Amino acid sequence: MTERPEILLTVRGLAWETGGRRILGPVDFAVRRGECLAVVGPNGAGKTTLLRLLTGLLRPTAGEISYQGQGFAALSRRELARRIAYVPQIRPDHLPMTVEEVVLLGRYPHLSAFQMAPRSEDFAAVAEALRLVGIAELRDRPVDELSGGERQAVFIAAALAQESELLILDEPTIHLDARHQSDLAALLLRLKAESGRTVVLATHDLNLASLLGDRLLAVAGGTVLAVGTPAEILQAALLEQLFRARFEIVRGGERPVTMLELAPP
Amino acid sequence: MSSGPARPHPRLALALLLLLALAALVAAPLVGTQRISLADVLHGEPTAAAIFWQLRLPRVLLALLAGAGLAVSGLGFQTLFRNDLAEPYTLGVASGAALGAVIALRLDVAESLLGLPLIAPASFAGALGATALVVGLALRRGQRSATSTLLLAGIAVSLSCSAIILFLQFLSDSTQTFRMVRWMMGGLAVVGYGEVLWAAPWVVGGTLLLLLLRWDLNLLLTGEEMAASRGVDLVRLRLKVLLVTSLMIGALVAVAGPIGFVGLMVPHILRRWVGYDHLYLAPACVLGGGAFLVLCDLAARTLMAPAELPVGVLTALLGGPFFLWLLVWRRRG
Repeated sequence: MTERPEILLTVRGLAWETGGRRILGPVDFAVRRGECLAVVGPNGAGKTTLLRLLTGLLRPTAGEISYQGQGFAALSRRELARRIAYVPQIRPDHLPMTVEEVVLLGRYPHLSAFQMAPRSEDFAAVAEALRLVGIAELRDRPVDELSGGERQAVFIAAALAQESELLILDEPTIHLDARHQSDLAALLLRLKAESGRTVVLATHDLNLASLLGDRLLAVAGGTVLAVGTPAEILQAALLEQLFRARFEIVRGGERPVTMLELAPP
Repeated sequence: MSSGPARPHPRLALALLLLLALAALVAAPLVGTQRISLADVLHGEPTAAAIFWQLRLPRVLLALLAGAGLAVSGLGFQTLFRNDLAEPYTLGVASGAALGAVIALRLDVAESLLGLPLIAPASFAGALGATALVVGLALRRGQRSATSTLLLAGIAVSLSCSAIILFLQFLSDSTQTFRMVRWMMGGLAVVGYGEVLWAAPWVVGGTLLLLLLRWDLNLLLTGEEMAASRGVDLVRLRLKVLLVTSLMIGALVAVAGPIGFVGLMVPHILRRWVGYDHLYLAPACVLGGGAFLVLCDLAARTLMAPAELPVGVLTALLGGPFFLWLLVWRRRG
């Protein structure tokens, strides 16, 4: 029915260790063009390490990652940034800039040092990113005045302005209250449909992973436990093995809704 | 409703700073133990012209360059380390320069190099040596906490240099010790155009290079991880900024001695009026830092006339209270 999806990112034998301790790996998987891959797993499973390796911020101690057949080692930081944008978990607590200025900095990999002012295509990319994220009306507001959810949207817009095909998000809903979490989930769902980008996101929130993920990558103890559709991964037995906690499947179907049992009988 | 401070006005601030710097440049050479008038200088009255062009203008120009270089370096350090208190002194660059000068004074060599007394190249070498040591120490440790390692290594190198300086002073006779102490107060007393010509290329070149790094520095304000993910090569950026600033500081300390606190105070004050963008902030530091040190030097020349206060003593006297003000009253709320 549909043609076989093209592979964007290939991960082979990827491992990372520090101080003689293996944090991740070896892991093997691929990210298909246009899909949303949700990385789920407990604290310390190596999710952030995996994402930092996928953005090229960390250099693997073994194995390799290639982007459309091109090894990361052959790409400069700037070339990587034109292909992969990252929204990290850590964000500055004080930033003396307006929303537009922050998003404009997403154009960095396209700007040259001798360019004193951004070009019209840069402003166009910024306007498009603001529109996609739905924060065009915040354009001239200082970032420091925004709520946590709005600030998260600003950094996502900045990553979109980078105009890379792959977008990597680390715990996008962490530290957000219920309303902002659901707003952000709606935003990410819309982005997935409208931006045409490939998305890899790490999250604690299984329902977010279920809602957004075309495939889920279950990571525990630095290795991949299972890969599959939300319906395949979000099963009580597998989740108990993954998190060592009990989950109830509240609603089944293609995108199951789960609930953590805080005090299992 | 905006709750923060008024929006910065970079262009207006730059224009005002340019006027201030030009006014300081013209007015400062007219004031001193012997007051001269601009009319006399322009009409070529010999005494007035000699005082203006030969005695005071080179000194004022050097003050302008030194203030500019120190302020721009302070800006570079503060952005690189995303730390309000970082300046050339925190990183041992200036202490290294001082150690170089003190060694030259201790060895009592009279030779000169490139038309400057040997103390100048010695302190220049000291500044670069200290930077190399700090960077080397930081590179030996991993990448993860490179910034805090650099800062700690800088403080360690700075303290070690100060200790060696004290030791050398102890070994020296009182004349040498006196010269060392005087040199370390920082001053612009004996200068001609040679010093100005020596310092100018470093300051101008360093500022231009920092301007070229404007996008990187702006992006660094959003955090190292974010900057790296946008394509900034952090290792190379750190090396570039450290190299550029230590060349500037080394060149300036070589001819003016260590003049502290300018690099800390000026970027801080200007950031409020000019905003964060290094495209404006770097030139603003050049103009503002230059004007600031010219005025400080003017005060140092006239406050205790006919005696001259070393300008480094004056900036340090201003710097202490500024530091306290920064710590106590300017915590963002």
